[in-house]
Amino acid sequence: MISILAFTLILLLGAYAAGLLGSLTGLGGGVVVIPLLTLAFGVDFRYAIGAALVASIATSSGSASAYVREGITNVRLGMFLEIATTIGAVVGAIIALWMPTNTIAIIYGLVLIFTAVMTQRRGTDHQGVQGSRLAGLLKLHSTFPTRSGGLQRYELTHVAGGFSIMTVAGVLSGLLGIGSGVLKVLAMDTVMKVPFKVSTTTSNFMIGVTAAASAVIYLQRGYIDPGIAFPVMVGVLMGALTGARLLKRMDVTVLRRIFAIAILLVAINMIYNGFTGKF
Amino acid sequence: MVSPENSDSPASRSHKMQDLIGHALRIGVVTACIVAIAGGIYYLAAHGFEPIPDYREFHSESASFTTARGIWHGVTHLQAKEWMQLGVVLLIFTPVVRVALSLVLFLRERDWLYVAITAIVLGVILGNMLEGSLG
Repeated sequence: MISILAFTLILLLGAYAAGLLGSLTGLGGGVVVIPLLTLAFGVDFRYAIGAALVASIATSSGSASAYVREGITNVRLGMFLEIATTIGAVVGAIIALWMPTNTIAIIYGLVLIFTAVMTQRRGTDHQGVQGSRLAGLLKLHSTFPTRSGGLQRYELTHVAGGFSIMTVAGVLSGLLGIGSGVLKVLAMDTVMKVPFKVSTTTSNFMIGVTAAASAVIYLQRGYIDPGIAFPVMVGVLMGALTGARLLKRMDVTVLRRIFAIAILLVAINMIYNGFTGKF
Repeated sequence: MVSPENSDSPASRSHKMQDLIGHALRIGVVTACIVAIAGGIYYLAAHGFEPIPDYREFHSESASFTTARGIWHGVTHLQAKEWMQLGVVLLIFTPVVRVALSLVLFLRERDWLYVAITAIVLGVILGNMLEGSLG
């Protein structure tokens, strides 16, 4: 049996790698934390979900503080859609309290496969979208700063469709502890026709609030253990900071492809272990 | 950048609002980390060479880690694990504070629609927190 000190240090390093990879690939720290804890350390799935939520909040709050200041984030859009994600997150956390962990592991594996496929997609910038009336009434049309220093105006549409997908994203986030950034970007970018850059930063901005809504439930139900959460939180945050710095002068397309394959392998492992009742 | 002659325009006020939110997020994350690291170092110094608790089996954490009173009791009695948990709780509350700040700023902008929307989001989070601590 290893000592607490060794466990903490290994977990700190693992969480650092998780934060670094999560930030370079844009997927957040939570995605790597769960397989790290359950498959590598044999930690119970419930503690892993609690730790992943903490990791999601750490990366979201850490990087959102930079993006909000740049004025790319659509604060109104994020706030409006947070109604969907926070209600979804509460529902997801309540489902997680009675759902068998093996079933949760299988769902997690399926979400990972979906994530791996979606990361290979390219973002579009949706020029000249004719905004819908509802989006106008909700004051969701906005501007973002362009590289030349000007402001680019954009409109968006399909508010109800985006809101529904966001509810699903919230449920998955509450159930699995992940930020479900991929689904959030899908709702904004593909459905609501929000420019890609605005979608990713607004999604990241929302992840912290969504995760906080379910983290409160997990905390009160005893899913968050300080001995696990502490190294995960510090490691992921440091890793995310390094990642944000590296991202400015690194081409990550190859890394993203390798990461997608790694995620697929982890997903198959999760689903297999789930079906054979290992969790 | 805000130029001095229009520092009271709605655009610059919303800029200040975004600045404030950005600062709040950073302060929250840094404070949470400092508290957790302080507790963590103390914890490792005192218990670092003991074998790890059994995390393979789930057993719900005790009240000292799951309730405000429990955590606070441990914190005031300088218990390392409660200090670590306080750091985690501060981190969880950082986005909640951000929502609360947004509410204040939408109020100042007299944007009633978004005052209502932000209040709903805050209500969902705080409501389920209260429900959990009663139930």
